[in-house]
Amino acid sequence: MNAVYLAAANLRFHWIRTLVLIAAAALVLAVPVLTRALLAQGEAALTARADSTPLLLGARGSRLDLVMAGAYFTDDLPEPTTMAAADAVWESGLGIPAPLHTAFTTGDVRIVGTTLDYLDLRGLAVADGRPFALLGEAVLGAGAAARLAMGTGDAILSDPENLFDLDGAYPLQMDVVGVLAPTGTPDDDAVFVDIKTAWVIAGIGHGHDDILVEGEDAAAAAARAVQFARITPENIDSFHFHGDPAGYPVTAVVVAPYDERSATILRGRYLDAEEPVQAVVPADVIDALVARLLRIASLVDAVTVVVGLAAALALGLALFLSWRLRAPEMRTAHALGAGRGMIAQLALAEIVLIVAGAIVIATPLVIAVQSQAPMIAARLIALGT
Amino acid sequence: MIRAALAAVLLAAPAWAQDRPVIVADSYPMAYFAERLAGNAAEVRLSVPDGRDPSSWRPGLADVVAIQAADLIVLNGSGLSDWTTRAALPRARTVDTGRGLADDRIATETITHSHGEEGSHSHEGVATHTWLDFALAARQAEALAAAMARALPDAPVDASLGALLSDLATLDAAGDALTGGRTVPVIVSHPRYEYFGRAYGLAVEALDWEAGAAPDADALADLASRADRTSARILIWEAEPPTEARDAVAALGLSQVVLPPMATPPAEGDFVTGLRDGMAALGAAIAAGG
Repeated sequence: MNAVYLAAANLRFHWIRTLVLIAAAALVLAVPVLTRALLAQGEAALTARADSTPLLLGARGSRLDLVMAGAYFTDDLPEPTTMAAADAVWESGLGIPAPLHTAFTTGDVRIVGTTLDYLDLRGLAVADGRPFALLGEAVLGAGAAARLAMGTGDAILSDPENLFDLDGAYPLQMDVVGVLAPTGTPDDDAVFVDIKTAWVIAGIGHGHDDILVEGEDAAAAAARAVQFARITPENIDSFHFHGDPAGYPVTAVVVAPYDERSATILRGRYLDAEEPVQAVVPADVIDALVARLLRIASLVDAVTVVVGLAAALALGLALFLSWRLRAPEMRTAHALGAGRGMIAQLALAEIVLIVAGAIVIATPLVIAVQSQAPMIAARLIALGT
Repeated sequence: MIRAALAAVLLAAPAWAQDRPVIVADSYPMAYFAERLAGNAAEVRLSVPDGRDPSSWRPGLADVVAIQAADLIVLNGSGLSDWTTRAALPRARTVDTGRGLADDRIATETITHSHGEEGSHSHEGVATHTWLDFALAARQAEALAAAMARALPDAPVDASLGALLSDLATLDAAGDALTGGRTVPVIVSHPRYEYFGRAYGLAVEALDWEAGAAPDADALADLASRADRTSARILIWEAEPPTEARDAVAALGLSQVVLPPMATPPAEGDFVTGLRDGMAALGAAIAAGG
């Protein structure tokens, strides 16, 4: 007890050095635990989402990009396919397709154009307001509502696709009509609109006043045409779409086959390498990705052990040097009757107190980060490329 | 989880707290077919308010939200309910009965307009009253039956479909017998009979008269001119005209027949009896020298 009292008094006297030592020890203890926790959470989140997405259709190309865009709404946008891919699934009677158009953002939050079937398939419930019903209406994921600081009754503006592309997508103002209940999935961090609204942002559909006066040259009328940047009850009937709907772009199509047999038949239909559409089982792609991540994690573990060892040696050296500086003080203590055992107890007590202090700091840090691990992992996944 | 949600999508009754599943149809023929197929297994509602034409009706937000909540949404397709391009409907619970009719549609006038940097572009119109070709109507009924069999596994759809197809076949045969293989020119008061004319040997010349309104002198002059040009001796009304309108047309020497296009519920009878009676009157007019 005397040794602990004297060690504590000494640590208190050299409080700056003590704080540095405790902080360094806390980091050495916490970082490996946090790294492991985030990796495990990321793996769990990736796997759970992939498992809940039976099949994805998209343009032939990178399977990983298709899965990341279609299941996790990341920035990795594959080449778009067309609505014909979703229509083909309907015609087949083998499952329910939910087309996704994820090319646009609002305030850096992904806008997901889809159909109401997607909300049903994912079991997404509206916590406030209602689902989208008309062109120009949006429903926010719980996380998106928090990030945008918006809710039912507010209005969002889609981000311009390219500031310098005069022929590109122009911002569309959309009314927020609902906020979804949190699910702990990428759906929380998305803004959902009807896929036709996404096509309006893309310029495939638009609304405008009747501008062509009888007998007037079409080019002259075109020059003064102004397309509506917001869809209102007054102008919604003027909105129309051009071209064959089967050719409209979609990023991916989530397919929920009716049963295992339907899933097998569907996958078989897209095996031909000449077929422009591919079918991907997200779980397969993510399992391969996670296996790679785990190999990297093993490397990280080894590096963590080496770095931790180096840090422990550095801390030991710091303690040793501080004891060397205290040699005259120890000689005085010895002269006053303190034996070698007492001096060793003093040194051990200081180490124990520093490690205890490090544990006291590291524990709440680990608990705090672990409690936020799902959100942090989701953000890391959503960062994409 | 998605499998469980899929089951919920297909089986659970959504918002309407009804004992029976609710089917919403966008036009009377689709509502009639759904009623015939469902029997008492479902409540069939017509989304269009009384007296409104489904081709011009635009639902408000509350209407769309109510339609979204139906267990099955039945659309005629072929451009009849243009509002569906601006509304979000759950496709898993929506059946477009005209989806398989792409090769059979009749193009109408093309509207060309221009805006933005795209230059001019065109919207091709499509005749919407597909059910007046009863062979097409039968294919729509079959498409509806397939969707209803999935959505309402307890409904006697298969048994009811045979009776409905039989009635439609009877109407189709009556249509085939109208002209005896000739092509008979007729004038119609409104452009709704494109499929009927094509299917049953009528060369249709369409006016654009308001139902229930009496034509003015210019309209009557236009009618006389068209009758001369086409040699048509029969005018088909979509609804019973005012007496003065009937008298004015009679003065031009034209026979007159009321053949309701059935986009809206008839005042008396139903889809089959209304069309059967109208076609009988038309057949009589043709036989009388029209």
